[in-house]
Amino acid sequence: MNNMEEQLWSYIDGTCSEEERIAIAALIEKDESWKNAFNNIVAVDADISALTLDEPPMAFSYNVMEGIRAHEASKPLKTSVNNYIISSIAGFLILSIIALLLLTFANASQTTHNIATNVHLPDLSAFTDSGVVKVLFYFDTMLLLFLADSFFRRKRTDDVGKSV
Amino acid sequence: MQSKLTDIELIQRTLKGEQQAYALLVKTYQRYVFTLALRFTKNREDAEEVAQDSFIKVYKALSSFKQESKFSTWLYTVVYTTAMTSLRKRDKATVALDDDDNFIQVADAASTWDTNTAENRSRSFYLSRAITQLPADDATVLTLFYHAEQSLEEIALIMGIETNGVKIKLFRARRRLKEQLERDLKHEVKELI
Repeated sequence: MNNMEEQLWSYIDGTCSEEERIAIAALIEKDESWKNAFNNIVAVDADISALTLDEPPMAFSYNVMEGIRAHEASKPLKTSVNNYIISSIAGFLILSIIALLLLTFANASQTTHNIATNVHLPDLSAFTDSGVVKVLFYFDTMLLLFLADSFFRRKRTDDVGKSV
Repeated sequence: MQSKLTDIELIQRTLKGEQQAYALLVKTYQRYVFTLALRFTKNREDAEEVAQDSFIKVYKALSSFKQESKFSTWLYTVVYTTAMTSLRKRDKATVALDDDDNFIQVADAASTWDTNTAENRSRSFYLSRAITQLPADDATVLTLFYHAEQSLEEIALIMGIETNGVKIKLFRARRRLKEQLERDLKHEVKELI
């Protein structure tokens, strides 16, 4: 390797030590051959820096995003389902089970108490067995799901809008 | 507003499911990635394939990006390994054909040389030509250092070598480029005489 050339490149790149930098600067200042070599190297450095990057085809980014969309579409459903939705459904089911259990136990203790004291509580079976209540409950659930869906959709659209 | 978003912000948005954010990252880096791929493959079709594969690989692995380096350094590492794998596959599959391909490329380059108009024969034209004639590693080091704004340490990370090795490679690449340029320009002067 040409020692002078190597040192000059280190000097230009700033990868030499402070002592080396001072020594090389002094050589460029005093020595004609070092000065000429330095000027040549600076010219090459400027030429390489001025080189332009190659342009990919016009449809490049579109093709990349198409590839990504195809990848997303081929993903199994379980990886694309939002974990929050799964957790919410699980939570709802657990709460329902707990509520049903509590209700059952409360009814059971009430029954034994009724036997002992002969106290008659109002009969709620007409309400709970009623088809109207079931329809109302179904309607409420659907309404809740619909509202949650529109809320998350709106939130996502807002986030996309902010990024543009 | 888009230009204010950093790479990290765009990555976070992509991870939340916004593909539009990733499209911005692709647009930002597509020229660098394509040029880097072209330094290896030496032809635009293969370079496009390598560049696309790299972007898709990065998208798939985006959640594993630990931010220990710049996103660009990570991206170029993927491009480098994808290009190397692609070259190895091509070499294995078409050893005999490769020689012919090289011959055709040289012949094409020579014919282009003869038919180029005078206005195209600027110094930058010869430099661009010279850089395509360098070995892939040399051209890659030059592209990463001068255009992709990667430090010697980052290039070492991308290429999987020591920083001193990068320094030596860079020095050799510059010298080879200079020699190639001088050869081309001498050829041109002889042609004019």
